Amino acid sequence: MLEQFTFIGVFLLVTLFISCAMVGLSWVLRPKRPDPRKSEIYECGLEPHGTPWFQFKAQYYIFALVFLVFDVEAVFLFPWAKAYSLIPLYAVIEGVLFILLLAVALIYVWRKGLLEWM
Amino acid sequence: MGDAIVNVSAWIEGLLLGTGLSEPWVSFIMTVISAFVIAFIPVVIVIFLVWGYRKASARMQGRLGPNSSGTWAGPGGIVQTFADAIKMLTKEDIRPAGVDVIPYNIAPILIFFIALVVWAVIPFGPGTVIGVDLNIGIFYIMAFSSAALFGVLMAGWSSNNKYATVSAFRSVALLISYEIPQLLSVLVVVMVAGSMSMQDIVGAQRSVMYLIALPLPAVIFLIASLAEVNARPFELLEAESELVAGYQTEYSGMKFGMYYLAEFINSVAVGAIFSTLFLGGWQGPFVDAAPILGTVWIFAKITLMTMLWMFIQITLPRLRIDQILNFNWKFLVPLALANLCVISIVNKLINAQASDWTRAGILLLTNIAIALVAWTLVALGGRQKRRQYEAELEVVA
Amino acid sequence: MTIQATHETLKAKFPDAIQDAHAPYTGLIVDRDHLVAVATALRDELGFRYLSSVTGVDYPAATDGLPPRFEAVYHFYQSEGGPLVLHVHADRENPTVPSLTPLFPSADFQEREAWDLMGIRFEGHPDLRRILLWEGYAGHPLQKGFQEVYYEADTKPFDSRWPEGAPVRAESRVPLGRNLRYPADFSMQGWCPTDDPWGYIAHDQVADLKDTAHPTDRVVLNMGPHHPSTHGVLRLLVTLEGETIKKLEPVVGFLHRCHDKIGERNTWLGNMPYTDRLDYVCSMSNNLGYAVAVEKLLDVKVPERAEYIRVIMAEFTRFINHIIDIGFTGNDLGIYFTAMLMGMEERELIVDLFERVSGSRMMCNYMRFGGVAHDMTADDVAYARQLAFERLPQAIDKVDQFFTNNEVFKQRSINVGVLPAETAIAYGCTGPLLRASGVPYDIRRAEPYSIYDSFDFDVVTRQNGDVYDRYMVRLEEMRQSVRILQQALNRLPDGPIMDGKPKGLIKVPAGEAYGRIEAPKGELGFYLVSEGGNNPYRYHVRSPSFVNLGALEEMCKGYLIADTVIILASVDITLGEVDR
Repeated sequence: MLEQFTFIGVFLLVTLFISCAMVGLSWVLRPKRPDPRKSEIYECGLEPHGTPWFQFKAQYYIFALVFLVFDVEAVFLFPWAKAYSLIPLYAVIEGVLFILLLAVALIYVWRKGLLEWM
Repeated sequence: MGDAIVNVSAWIEGLLLGTGLSEPWVSFIMTVISAFVIAFIPVVIVIFLVWGYRKASARMQGRLGPNSSGTWAGPGGIVQTFADAIKMLTKEDIRPAGVDVIPYNIAPILIFFIALVVWAVIPFGPGTVIGVDLNIGIFYIMAFSSAALFGVLMAGWSSNNKYATVSAFRSVALLISYEIPQLLSVLVVVMVAGSMSMQDIVGAQRSVMYLIALPLPAVIFLIASLAEVNARPFELLEAESELVAGYQTEYSGMKFGMYYLAEFINSVAVGAIFSTLFLGGWQGPFVDAAPILGTVWIFAKITLMTMLWMFIQITLPRLRIDQILNFNWKFLVPLALANLCVISIVNKLINAQASDWTRAGILLLTNIAIALVAWTLVALGGRQKRRQYEAELEVVA
Repeated sequence: MTIQATHETLKAKFPDAIQDAHAPYTGLIVDRDHLVAVATALRDELGFRYLSSVTGVDYPAATDGLPPRFEAVYHFYQSEGGPLVLHVHADRENPTVPSLTPLFPSADFQEREAWDLMGIRFEGHPDLRRILLWEGYAGHPLQKGFQEVYYEADTKPFDSRWPEGAPVRAESRVPLGRNLRYPADFSMQGWCPTDDPWGYIAHDQVADLKDTAHPTDRVVLNMGPHHPSTHGVLRLLVTLEGETIKKLEPVVGFLHRCHDKIGERNTWLGNMPYTDRLDYVCSMSNNLGYAVAVEKLLDVKVPERAEYIRVIMAEFTRFINHIIDIGFTGNDLGIYFTAMLMGMEERELIVDLFERVSGSRMMCNYMRFGGVAHDMTADDVAYARQLAFERLPQAIDKVDQFFTNNEVFKQRSINVGVLPAETAIAYGCTGPLLRASGVPYDIRRAEPYSIYDSFDFDVVTRQNGDVYDRYMVRLEEMRQSVRILQQALNRLPDGPIMDGKPKGLIKVPAGEAYGRIEAPKGELGFYLVSEGGNNPYRYHVRSPSFVNLGALEEMCKGYLIADTVIILASVDITLGEVDR
């Protein structure tokens, strides 16, 4: 058990090292000739107008919020699914009820019309 | 392969012990070597996959594809990818003015890192020959792969470019939305297999692969995964004809190359995860007799899935963002939820002593029933809409 | 009502404002102050709802008893019959003409072009800026007094001409000096012309667009000129709210080469290869349009075999254009070049035929006044037959099979970019764009040129005017093209291919002519004025892409940014023709 997670730890370090090494290697190999013309922002060949850091449309945010509900649900459901073969039927039905409770949230959002793209 | 790897590792271990290192150090060095080997598997696959993708797309479009790369062509222009890799490494890295430096530089590293990380728990053969069999294997994969969103968001937002910003907006809505059906279909597999370990899931498919027992979760998982790896028809983040290159627009040189590699690695990883969860992983005829065949089988399955991905990628047009989100929230998520609820109850009702084939048959029938109900509902909804439309037309007339 | 009768009606209605044009000119001369009233009457009472072309002409010397003047020439059409030509005179010192844009939106771009190149000011035009040349350009190049930089300037701008030093540069002499060189202290970094910073001002001043219920930042975004899906160097200046298009403005002129001016410099025949470069996908059609226009002035009779060959080439060109456009629509939908290469395969086979008959694959330069340049040999005819009878019908079926019932394609294209019939006519849209909106207007039928009246074919229309319908119209038109090709190849007669001996230098009798054909993209018109010399006095191209582009904003408003690219692809423009 601990050995497995030691391996994962080592593996994460190794992959991080490889990722950084690729950037590092190109940093050593590549030419460096900075020029104000080169470093202009790309907007189809013209100078950009205004800042690109503009306000999000609220629509995207609503989807993120709905997602949050289901993501939290998933966290609770993984242990339930893992223990599925050990628990009796009524415990399974309890889990199903929990899912349905969240499905009601989806139906509410749907009926509210928040899933329509404006 | 199993034997070969065990032999080689035993030989290296012997060599290291021979130099007089102590036991813990040797095992640590062996771990590091093993980690490097696994991390390089996807990179090597991708170098050939890029070539294969170019060849396959050319054939589908009635072209020849790469057949020459400078002075020495190599068979079918296979050297071209290596030439590309060298070119990427030696390209100047242009950092545009006004970018948010720290996220801008971290993003490609993060995305590449995550693309490699998921490969640790993929079982390449019977027994843990390389890699590791985590008891939370699939959970680990899900957790890490969802973090790729941060990379996209950081790149898009920090680039000081409107196209990249719009792409970052889209990533928020698209990537996280499709995570839900993906998670819910994985939950079904975990439930039926009774474990989150990848090896156990493969073992549970000894007689019947889950593609047959659970076709609905398999299809949902495949669709959601295509969206997660940004493949057509869900390719919205770098939609070339609209957003130029989306969040990658301002990247050049090796940083761009890392996005490019990560995209391919992710696509192969989806193939590998799908093969493990639904196609029985390394299971196949004659595996018991010769364990090396297990590795052959899983690579054959990964190749098959990658070919499917290529085929979709080359032939399908792209959907619009509202259509993609509609499809997810109004069809995939309810379907996956219903699927999870029904199967969890039905599976519990099946006699524990039932044979694998009986269980699979009952689950398959349940799946078909759910699919039929869903299909009927969609058809009814469509008919209602059509009636409304016709009524409107009559009013107009 | 015939044109003659319309003339009489108008003259009765506006007795002091209208007189007949002096021969050899045609049409009516309308008093400047009454133009709007006359145009309103034409549109609302006489049914001339389609303003095809607006042209400016410069007459620096007094002719035919008329004083030196600028002329604005308008060509009106109704569904059958036309053109009704109106000439409006403006004095040379202060050339102003009332704008027809409020009445006919199709005049918008064309009036801007006439202002830009000819210097006629259109009063009442909502946005009279330069369109093809850049802001800050001095002079109007189509005026007869304009001196072309380098070629006509008194001195040449090369130092080497004055080896002893003290060069006299052209830019120091000509009044256009500032077009040639930036001032010494000029820095490109952060530069904006004060009157119009890259055209952004119009977008900043759009105030009423903000949705008060869900306020979101507006953002102004350039799509193009260097963008993968603008089909060349078109710049679309869009105002977005989220991803929704609130305002869109096509900015053109990046490929401008003053085709009209080049045409006036060339001999009549020497101009033929330049028409190839207008719409470089359909060079044969451009040749045909120019030949048809010049033949209206010349007294030539095109032999029957030449007419058949012309029709064959024009219809092959239509096939190429439509299949390529469908392929590019696929490309903009993100099919990774697969659809486009499918079209390219057929195109290659057809341009092989063009190469066999004309010697060139793209820039054919094939038509001549009174015939065609080279005959089709028996081999060429056999090859063309093989294409028209076997290969191309299969190709159409293949496209049909891949696109028509593709669910994703239908989702993306049905009810996207809707253009109602009324709007389409008002904006002067022609070609598949107009016919997809349900208007059965095809010049091959409405005003048959060449020998199109002897062929059996249908004018394809669809009702909804969305992207899908435009695709369907193109698909069906390819079928009709193949039908015409089959008839033409079956009936191809023997005989000469030129009227008389081919001549290099042609003198064209004085007069004016407006010749138009149904090019694959729409109405391709050539307005020509001859003074009897070796070259045109005025040569104006009314290109379908340019006018159709004017309706783009109307089609895109309210749709998402992803729809814009496929709407643009469905309009089907070629920048060589837009910018001229």
